[in-house]
Amino acid sequence: MKALDKLSSHLRTRLVDLRRAKEQGRKIVGYTPGGYLPEELVLACGAIPICLIRGGDHAPVELSGAYICRWIDTFCRAQIGYGVSGDDPYYGIVDLFAIPITDNHIRAISDVLDYNTNIEIFPFGVPHMKEKVAFDYYLHGITRLKARLEELTGVEITNSKLREAISLCNRERELLKEISLMRQSQPAPISGKDFVALNHGSFLADKRIMVETLESVYNELKEQSTPASEGPRVLLTGSTLAIGDYRVIEMVEAAGGAIVIEEFAEGIRPYWEKVKADGDLMAALADCYFTRRVPPGWFRPGKERRDFLIKLAKDFNIAGVIWYQLMYRESYKTESYYFPGLLKRETGLPMLTLESDYDQAETEQLRTRIETFIETIRR
Amino acid sequence: MANYYDALLKLCGFEDEIKREKPRIDKAFRKLELGPEDMKRAERWVSENHDVELLGVRKLLRAWLLELFDLVLAKEEGKKVVYYGYPSIQGPGMAIKAASEEASKEVYVACPDTILCHTLGQIFNKLAPVLEAGEQNGLPPGHGLCSLQQIRNGGLAKGIIPVPDLVTSSSYYCDMGSKADELLHDRYGHRAIYVDGSMDSRWGEYPDYLPQRVDYLGAQLNKLFDTVNEVLGVEVTQEAWNRAISVSRQFFHAIGQLTRLMTADPMPISAVEVSLALQLGGASTGRAMTEGPEAVSILCGEVEKRVEAGIGVVEKGAPRVLNFSASFSDPSIMHMMENTGLAMSATLLSVPPPKAPYPTTYTTLGEIRAEGEMTIGMYHSSFSIAKRFEDAVKTLNIDGVIWSYLYNCRPSALLSHVVKKWVEETTGVPAISLEMDIYDSRNYSAAALRTRVEAFAEMLRARKATAKA
Repeated sequence: MKALDKLSSHLRTRLVDLRRAKEQGRKIVGYTPGGYLPEELVLACGAIPICLIRGGDHAPVELSGAYICRWIDTFCRAQIGYGVSGDDPYYGIVDLFAIPITDNHIRAISDVLDYNTNIEIFPFGVPHMKEKVAFDYYLHGITRLKARLEELTGVEITNSKLREAISLCNRERELLKEISLMRQSQPAPISGKDFVALNHGSFLADKRIMVETLESVYNELKEQSTPASEGPRVLLTGSTLAIGDYRVIEMVEAAGGAIVIEEFAEGIRPYWEKVKADGDLMAALADCYFTRRVPPGWFRPGKERRDFLIKLAKDFNIAGVIWYQLMYRESYKTESYYFPGLLKRETGLPMLTLESDYDQAETEQLRTRIETFIETIRR
Repeated sequence: MANYYDALLKLCGFEDEIKREKPRIDKAFRKLELGPEDMKRAERWVSENHDVELLGVRKLLRAWLLELFDLVLAKEEGKKVVYYGYPSIQGPGMAIKAASEEASKEVYVACPDTILCHTLGQIFNKLAPVLEAGEQNGLPPGHGLCSLQQIRNGGLAKGIIPVPDLVTSSSYYCDMGSKADELLHDRYGHRAIYVDGSMDSRWGEYPDYLPQRVDYLGAQLNKLFDTVNEVLGVEVTQEAWNRAISVSRQFFHAIGQLTRLMTADPMPISAVEVSLALQLGGASTGRAMTEGPEAVSILCGEVEKRVEAGIGVVEKGAPRVLNFSASFSDPSIMHMMENTGLAMSATLLSVPPPKAPYPTTYTTLGEIRAEGEMTIGMYHSSFSIAKRFEDAVKTLNIDGVIWSYLYNCRPSALLSHVVKKWVEETTGVPAISLEMDIYDSRNYSAAALRTRVEAFAEMLRARKATAKA
């Protein structure tokens, strides 16, 4: 796909562009990929949002061992490894690292890097329940962030700037949603790997270039002839899907399966809802990012997400679910025990649970299990 | 006719009530699957690991066993059952209990997992089957899942503890407890109430905090009290709260006295027994208050005599160590540490927590409690815990710190390296990070930990000797 090639080309030089922008006085704001950081705030003050979302490599996980024990989520340990070593250049260029504290694993990134590095950390809490007081708490957190961003950049985030940023981000979400929904048709016009590449690209790319890319992809997909057939349709869900953590996707597709929808707590940009750009814009951001976002597995109770997974399975005519979690993320491990029963009752579908510590030693075991699963769900 | 459990119960401070309580005891041991062989093993285990020469210790063991019976039989005895998690904010459980009594309702309120640790673990050395049942029912081994939750899960799966009417989760601290409660709710259908919060302070922020944290946590605690009213028909009022404080004051006053006595040189009793007393107050709202004060007072009197006579369980002049927590289920770990020559005399709780602002500007029970917790710091942030360590080391003139973090408790594990570094940087006192599981010692037994503790003890002794010279 031409548009994807263009995106890849943009991302290859992104770091250079960012360094140049930084030299020209632009501020760069890093954040964790849980879907709770309204990028609109960063864009509205002229700063550049960059998601620190790299993973899939065991080396930084090993490096983190000098700063934290192994019983923390793999992705979060990887971020600690990148943060303390500087091995991920994005960590070296951020002026502020905004961390929505979603659970204790993300809190580990915040606390360990705050203590051990000079990176300025800005944590703010994401409550685990959808209640009015929880909404107020989240709103207060992003309001504090707004004030810090204004201080950092010296730019006031006015309503008109914020509305403009909301419009741009809404367009990005809208396009991702439209492209994603195209996959309800059979066969799906875009592979799981390509859709994830687009979604991941949106965490790093310049927002306007990203929107242009998505528009091109959307048009290309509308015009292209659909593939003649596809393998078993798979819903891929789990805790974190980082940039670089593509083993499972590649193995599923190599085994003949088609990932047609994804749902992750971290690593897949939420795109189902748009910010309502009228009235109090900060409340509108909180409404979209907190209240209407399908919550991750560590919300209590987790029924909304589980119901959403069932709905996705039905809407996308899934043949099987692959549940991909990273080691020691206890919320997902616990749910992976009782969700298959619910899935079976509601849809009759089977589920394969996979776990990873980004270790190469896991590769062949993962492959065998995935190949077997795809064979068993082939209709 | 003698009962198969008489010898153990007598060893654990029971007297006349064995006869009186026989039907309850028989029923409870049947449910717990504890037979004659278990009693024999428990006698040996208790004799080896508890200072049963002290009446106060025997009385504490008795209080724990009575609490176990109350827990196991609560439903059969017509009580509504409320479980809270560990750790949890001190007070709400006691207040629910006090309010129930005021409303003349039979309600059993406790933390069942810690009770099973201190009884099936500390007394019977038979916690493994419960843990295994927990592992087989949704919380498998090898994934760093909380063993305390495995114990609760296993206890329910085996039918040895009753299905509760209401569970309250410490959602302001850990993610695992809430998720495990959801798992149990899925299976047993009981009501679960999540008391949420967010530990989102920056490193270095304690003792400051954003007032919104009090607003949120306070509202969540108030929600808990509203739910208690809805589910149990019990209103938790300020009067009930005051009564709870008044009832518990005697117990915690005695605990404070015991803690102070532990600063004597030589250390007069094992930290195992102090923990036995301390944790009773955390796990129980019943026997801790009815049997606890007398047991701890008796123990204090006995310990005072030892102090006066210069009797200790470690040598005089032994390095004084601040430990995070004793094992809840396996006393042999603490004994191993003490046998290396360390006086494990202090914990974070040995230093009184900072006082909450008085008078407070908050008006609701939940907010007042939330404000207190922000001040105390245990649920404030990672930094507040590191700072409490620093303050304790400086206040108590400590020679070394054993940061026995719980590998499968994320709020503790995320501090695995940080606390050691912070303590050494801010106090100059050596610290060791010791990976542990204070609830399940199958993989973290005394034998597995001994080498590292011995080396640490050797280093502390050498350091002390050098300083003296």
